[in-house]
Amino acid sequence: MSGYLLAQALNGLVIGVIYALIAAGLTVIFSILKIVNFAHGEIYMMGGYFGYFVITLLGIPPLPAVLVAMLLAFALSVALERALLSPLYSPATERKGDYGILVTFGISILLRNLAIIAFGPFPLRPPSFWPGALIAGDLVLSWDRVFAAGVGIAILVGLLLFLARSAWGQALNAVSQSRESAAIVGINDRLAYTLAFAVGGALAGGAGALVGPIYALSPSMGLVPDTQAFAIVVLGGMGSVGGSIIAALLLGVSENLFVALFPDPTRGLSYAQAFSLVVLMAVLLIRPTGLFGREHVAME
Amino acid sequence: MMTRPALLAWAAAAIVALAYPFVVDPYWLTVGILALFYALVTASWTLLVGYAGQFSFGHMGFVALGAYASALLARYASLPIPLAALAAIALCLVVGAAIGGICLRMRGPYLAIFTLAFAEVLRIVITTENEVTGGSGGFQAATLFHGRSDIPYYMVALGLLAFTLAALGWMIVSRWGLFFRAIRENERAAAASGVRVVRFRVLAFAISSGFAGLAGAFYAHYIGMLTPDIGSVDQMGLVVAMAVIGGSESLTAAVLGALAVEALVEALRAYGQWRLVLFGALLLLTMRFARNGLLALAWEQVRRLPGLRRPRGTAEPAR
Repeated sequence: MSGYLLAQALNGLVIGVIYALIAAGLTVIFSILKIVNFAHGEIYMMGGYFGYFVITLLGIPPLPAVLVAMLLAFALSVALERALLSPLYSPATERKGDYGILVTFGISILLRNLAIIAFGPFPLRPPSFWPGALIAGDLVLSWDRVFAAGVGIAILVGLLLFLARSAWGQALNAVSQSRESAAIVGINDRLAYTLAFAVGGALAGGAGALVGPIYALSPSMGLVPDTQAFAIVVLGGMGSVGGSIIAALLLGVSENLFVALFPDPTRGLSYAQAFSLVVLMAVLLIRPTGLFGREHVAME
Repeated sequence: MMTRPALLAWAAAAIVALAYPFVVDPYWLTVGILALFYALVTASWTLLVGYAGQFSFGHMGFVALGAYASALLARYASLPIPLAALAAIALCLVVGAAIGGICLRMRGPYLAIFTLAFAEVLRIVITTENEVTGGSGGFQAATLFHGRSDIPYYMVALGLLAFTLAALGWMIVSRWGLFFRAIRENERAAAASGVRVVRFRVLAFAISSGFAGLAGAFYAHYIGMLTPDIGSVDQMGLVVAMAVIGGSESLTAAVLGALAVEALVEALRAYGQWRLVLFGALLLLTMRFARNGLLALAWEQVRRLPGLRRPRGTAEPAR
C-alpha cells in the first residue's frame, strides 16, 4: 500500500510540473495585463494539437516538437492579443475587467469549437516520446512522465531566468509594477503586453505538447486544467510566479493522494476533478491572497 | 414613460408571440419554447451581470440546480409539479443568497472563477451520484402536460417570461435598480451615498438565482429528460453569447439576443459545430466593436428613422 501511495505521490509531482507550466503562464499574463485569461486552457489544448501534428505530419523528434508547439502557441497568442485585447489599454474603455473576462471567455468558446471541427471530437494520442517505464522495486513511472517532468522543469527554470535576468524580463516586471513609470523610462508598454500574453500562451502550449502522450488529446481537455490553473494561481498568490510553481506541485501531489485514498475508487476518480475546484473555492473564501500573496491589482 | 416607438414595438412583439404557436409546425414550436427558456435564463443573468455588475459564470449551475431539485422532488417526494418547482426556486434563492453572501469580498475575475467552480462542482456531483440523479445517462423527469400538442408549454413559457420581464423591469426602474447600478459603477461611492451594499449585492444574487431556478424547473418538466450537460460551461457560453450579442446592459436587448441566437441555432442546424464557432466569433466582434450589443446598435438606427424621431426637447429615456 505504501508503495502505491509513493507511486501516486510521484505521479502527482509529475502532473504538478505540468500544472506549474500552465499556472505560471496564467500568472505572467495576470501580473502584466491584470486580466484572468479564461482561454488559457484552450491555448494549452492547441499546444497539444500543435505538438501532435508537428510529430505525426512533419516527423520532428519529441524535444524540438515541444519547442515548435511552444512557438506556434506563442504566435497564436500574439495574433489573439493584437486582434482583441487592445481595448484593455485604452482609457476610453469602461469596466476593463469585465471586458477582459468576456473577451477571453469568448476566445475559449471559439477555440474549443474550432478544435472540434478541425481535429474531430475523438481523442488523439501522439506517439510516445520515450517508450517503456522506469521500474524501481514496485515503483513504476513511464518514461513519458519522466520526460515531461524533466522538460517542464527546464522550461520553468528558463522562465525564471528570463524574468529575472533578461532585459525583457525586467521590462515586464517594470510594467507590472507601474505602466506609466515604465513608459517614462522608455519601455514600450504595448509590446510588453503582447510579449507577456504570448509568453503565457507559449508556456500553456508547451504543457499541452508534453501532456499529449500521457493523456490523450481532445478539444475539451483544456476545461479542467483551466480551473486547476486558477486554483493554483489563487493559492500561490495572484501574480507570484514562484508561488504558483510551489502551489502547483502541492496541488498535483494532494490531488493524486486524494484519488488514492478515496474509499470508492470509481467515485474517487470522478471527484478528482472537483478536488482542485473545492480547493479553489476554499482558498478564495479563507485566504484570497493565497499562500504568498499580493493584493489584487486592476488595470488602471 | 415609454417612447412611442418602444410602445409600438412591445405591442407588435406581444401579437407576434401570441400568434406564433398557431402558425408554425411542431418542430419550430419546440424551438420557440426553448428560445423562451433561454430568454428567461439570459434575462436573469443580465440582471446580475449587466445591472448589478457581479460577474457570474455559475448561472447555468443554478438552472441545473432548479431543474434537478424540482425533478427529484417530484419523483422521490411525490410532490405535485408546481409545488416541486416552487420548492426548487426557494432552494435556488437560498443557495444564491448564500453564494452572494460568501462572495461579498470578491469581485471581477475572482467572482467569475468562484461561480464557475461552483457550477462545475455541481455538475460533477450530479454526474457522479448516478444512483440518485441518473448520472450522464439522464434523469426522467415528470412532464407538466400529457396532451399531444406542445402549445400549453409554449403558453406557460411565454407567461413565465412575461412575468419575469415585468418583475425584473419593475425592479430596474425602481430604487433597487438604481442601487444595483450604483454598486456596479463604484461600490465605495455607493456605500458613501447610503446604499446598503451588502444587502443589495446579496439580493441581486438571490433574485437572479431564483429566476434561474424557475427557468430550470420549467425546462425539467418540459424536456422530460435531464442530463448534467444543462449546467456545462458550453451552455453557459451560449447564454453569455446571447446576452452579449443582444446587449448585456439592457434586459430587452438581452432577451431579443437570446431569441435571435436560439432561432439561428436551429436555422443553421445543417452547419453543426460551425454554429458555436459563429456565436463565439460574433461574441468577440460584438465585445470588440459594439459593446452595447448588436440589437442596441440596430435600435439606435431604428429610432433615427424619420417619423419615429422623438419630439425635440424630450429627455433620453432611462433604460
